Amino acid sequence: MPVSLFGGGRIWLIIAAVMTVFLLALPAAEHGSDAGDGNPDAVGHSADGYYFDLMVGHRKIELPRLFLARGTDGRFRFDAFGSTHAAVESGRYTLADAEGHAMGEAELHTLAEEHKQVYYPVIPADGGAVVIDFSISRQILFLFISALVLLIIAFRLAGRYKQGFGASQAPRGAWQNMLEVMVLFIRDEVAKPAIGPKYKKYVPYLTTAFFFILLGNLLGLVPWGVTATSNIMVTATLAFFTFLITQFSGSKDYWKHIFWPPNVPVGIKFILIPIEIIGIFTKPVALAFRLFGNMISGHIAIVSLLGLIFIFSAKIGPVVGGLFVLFSVPLTIFIYLLKILVSFIQAYIFTMLSSVFIGMALEEHHHDEHAHNAPDGAAPAAH
Amino acid sequence: MGNLGLAYIAAGIGLLGAALAAGLGIGRIGASAVEGIARQPEAVNDIRGTAILLSAFIEGVAILAEIFALVFFFIAQP
Repeated sequence: MPVSLFGGGRIWLIIAAVMTVFLLALPAAEHGSDAGDGNPDAVGHSADGYYFDLMVGHRKIELPRLFLARGTDGRFRFDAFGSTHAAVESGRYTLADAEGHAMGEAELHTLAEEHKQVYYPVIPADGGAVVIDFSISRQILFLFISALVLLIIAFRLAGRYKQGFGASQAPRGAWQNMLEVMVLFIRDEVAKPAIGPKYKKYVPYLTTAFFFILLGNLLGLVPWGVTATSNIMVTATLAFFTFLITQFSGSKDYWKHIFWPPNVPVGIKFILIPIEIIGIFTKPVALAFRLFGNMISGHIAIVSLLGLIFIFSAKIGPVVGGLFVLFSVPLTIFIYLLKILVSFIQAYIFTMLSSVFIGMALEEHHHDEHAHNAPDGAAPAAH
Repeated sequence: MGNLGLAYIAAGIGLLGAALAAGLGIGRIGASAVEGIARQPEAVNDIRGTAILLSAFIEGVAILAEIFALVFFFIAQP
């Protein structure tokens, strides 16, 4: 029976177990999320940070901080520290409060005692400024991890084809079969119809983007995982690559359609040209925002749903909060499963839209052939 | 009610409109896609691809609204 996992009353056992865990976690979490923690809300949880929270109430694992700073004498210097704590301990850096002023010794000491230094911005102690913050934040760490995993998978897969598996013999093993299906899908279902006959040049980029985004999305769903693609800079960089590829592969017709749209009256041309120029930039911006928004919204939804338990137990009482587990946890599991689906769909949509944009830039129109039989001022309907 | 409360209300109203409009839009795409597939089952692959693409465009606008709502949270000062 397909429902055997949840049949026979076992679902109630699972719910009871989950409820027990949450009720046990309630006092600890309530303690940890009081005001002044610096980072207790849903948005803060989904945002970037320079630490890992392994368990509620335990010490955080701080991540390396690298700064390119400019001193008051105008000279640049590069500093690397193992953690935010080490940066402050060295005396060369200090923390800034909400107004941007350097904190006093007493304040720093209190924050160090409570392990809350990671929540505050770091500034040089001698009055200079941090020019570029190269710190390995948790999203950057997972960016590296997904890039590494992608490299290992891709090289191993390529090695298989060099050995002949998949090329002259049938592909062997679950991994190769699974990945070949996806690569073929990108090539035959996404790149080929959208780009057209010149699709081959763009398949490597599209496949890389697909697998990188997919890995970034899925790594955010493992316990303690962080979604690298829920960082706007990561998605913006990916979209920037698509932007560059689109512009550099643009045909003559593509640029002509932007700067002098054919088959429209001259007056309309001056309205269309700014719109077309804005359109060049809105496409990658929408691409970046779409991926970023999709990935961060799932996290916010999960934290908000689980947060309802703690909100209700703080405002009304632990019993109401505990009962809310029955509502929050199934809904969270649903959102989690939805996020697995969204991970695949967003990777697919990014690849698909990238190839559609590239295809639109590559397309060569043949206006001259039928411009004379189209009425003046009307765009030819069919090609 | 300070700026923070106003920002939260603004974010809520913005998300309301975006979710409502995107839901209607994607619902219409889904309805038309299902109708199209029912009429021409052999065109299911083309219709599915187009429907996902069009949903992605609508979703992009909704996501923009979501990001603006997030920005309200970030820039709001108590």
